Amino acid sequence: MMEGIYEGVTTALTTYNIMMVAIGCFAGTFIGMLPGLGPISAIALMIPITYGMEPSSGLILIAGVYYGAIFGGSTSSILINAPGVAGTVATSFDGYPMAKQGFAGKALAIAAYSSFTGGTIAAVFLLFAAPALAKVSLSFQSSDYFALMVLGLTAVAAFAGKGKFLKAAIMTIFGLMLATVGTDADSGVSRYTFGNLDLIDGISFLLLAMAAFALSEALMNVIENKKMSKEEKDALNKDIGNLKVTKEEFKEMAPVVGRSSVLGFFVGVLPGAGATIASFLAYGMERSIANAKDKLKFGKGSIKGLAAPESANNAACSGSFVPLLTLGIPGSGTTAVILGALISYGIQPGPTMYTEQPALFWSVIISMYIGNIVLLVLNLPLIPYIAKLLAMPKQLLTPLVIFFSLIGVYLVTFNTFDIYMMVGFALVAVGLRLIDYPMAPMILGFILGGMMENNLRRALTISDGELNFLWERPITATILAITILMLISPLISQFLSGRIKKG
Amino acid sequence: MTKSRIGSLFFLAFSIIYLYQSYNIHLLPGSHYEAMTAKTFPHYLGIFGIITSSIIFILSFIKASDDDLLDWENLKTFDFKKGFYFVLAMILYGFTIRTLGFIIATIIFLILGFKILETKSWKTILLTSFGVSIVFWFLLTQVLGIYIEQGLIFDYLIGAQS
Repeated sequence: MMEGIYEGVTTALTTYNIMMVAIGCFAGTFIGMLPGLGPISAIALMIPITYGMEPSSGLILIAGVYYGAIFGGSTSSILINAPGVAGTVATSFDGYPMAKQGFAGKALAIAAYSSFTGGTIAAVFLLFAAPALAKVSLSFQSSDYFALMVLGLTAVAAFAGKGKFLKAAIMTIFGLMLATVGTDADSGVSRYTFGNLDLIDGISFLLLAMAAFALSEALMNVIENKKMSKEEKDALNKDIGNLKVTKEEFKEMAPVVGRSSVLGFFVGVLPGAGATIASFLAYGMERSIANAKDKLKFGKGSIKGLAAPESANNAACSGSFVPLLTLGIPGSGTTAVILGALISYGIQPGPTMYTEQPALFWSVIISMYIGNIVLLVLNLPLIPYIAKLLAMPKQLLTPLVIFFSLIGVYLVTFNTFDIYMMVGFALVAVGLRLIDYPMAPMILGFILGGMMENNLRRALTISDGELNFLWERPITATILAITILMLISPLISQFLSGRIKKG
Repeated sequence: MTKSRIGSLFFLAFSIIYLYQSYNIHLLPGSHYEAMTAKTFPHYLGIFGIITSSIIFILSFIKASDDDLLDWENLKTFDFKKGFYFVLAMILYGFTIRTLGFIIATIIFLILGFKILETKSWKTILLTSFGVSIVFWFLLTQVLGIYIEQGLIFDYLIGAQS
């Protein structure tokens, strides 16, 4: 393990890779700040650039973008109450009131310190959790992987929010369906190509991610036609004030950040949960354990209320890399896009990545930590200037985002059919967004579709076509039992709350 | 009309077509003896799709929440015309990128985009569209070493690139 860490450190600390983390953090911060554009769009927009790089450098850049986008989302949440990312919605609860009181600089600094600590604690956890899980998962067989993927997809639907379970489930199935387009990897038979040669290789994940996120978000911006309000413009032009945080404030933050980071990390590890749920849980937890006096401050600019979601969402980002790197199974839309990028580099994450490509495995973990340092040391002092970019007119930004999305996909294949297909998917995505169908489960289903089918095929072949592989191995059975529990838990809680009300 | 119902109808139709088309997947001789063929996964996905979308459809009648109702007033505030023009601009970009070449096609696309979004200053429009196209082309071809076709029109006028 030490040898792997050493290799990872030397890879991550090359001048080129440090530069990649810094560029990633800056680009991510900027894109994450733009309302509507989240980390998935930021990463998707960056992937074409990484194709010409070493996989480790590409992944390091992407990790930087991920962190940067979350940080950027916090910035717009605090300054203009417009979270660019769902994971930073809870940040705006206390960050924005603080900024309105004239302490925008302090709020941004608290957010940055909390993110840094959250990221650091999570990186240490990741250092131990990832190899441990990788070792355990070496004994996993195809049936276990199949069960894990079912669990991952179910969890994404289950955590989609109240009343959205079925919508997320159908979107997952939609993603799985799209993944079957093209040549079947096992038999070489064409499926759903309708004789079109452009579909023989299937639908590119980059195309789908770009269309469903970056392009459709940009198109939504066009049709929503929202102009920045005068209040928002004033907030951006206003001096953000001192970035200094006092000793007392640090003391107040410390236990909150510690608790929220640990909570955030474990929530991030869970498939489907991620930064959004982690930040809300941390916020809720801190509010519920606060004393009566502190409780009143929540929602009105509480330091605790700001530190909790910020440390939790960053810790969750690191946590979400655990299942991705060790099992090769993404737990969220963002890590699904990262998995897609890895596969296109020719890397299959999973337990063997830890043993066969330790330099890559560890360099990503180490670079996450470097990303945290970059955000604190470079991005925080530059925030007043980066924030000014938010004031850039949308009329200029939106066509540029659309251009980068289109050209990013076109440059991979030089096939204009991809542009038309992208436009088609973007239109469907806009339609589905208008009727509140979430996009992340679709991309997760799409990325896992091929792997899921392969593992199911292997498991069925081993069990001679019988379905007993689902319960014969204890690991498979346990994972599937958790999945079933997750499926029926909303019904149980509904039933119980009904009984409590009656009682 | 609730949002769930509209979506469920779309997915129901999609799943039915998907399932129907799964029967048109041609299998290789002897594949029937395999535990799982190229048809199996799509077949079950189609069925799951139909079941899930049907449940959403039925539930949309049983327990429709106010949040789920399609907000026509809000939709009326949307500028779908601009969105439509953007779609046309993107399709045009697809048509022109190989014929007119990267730089000219990008300039045209960006000018159209800025105009659709009512950017008034021609100076800003021209500077941004020319600037972005040329700088991006330079980065791609001269820095990253990516080969980009000069465009069929230039092939015709000055001969193909060697």
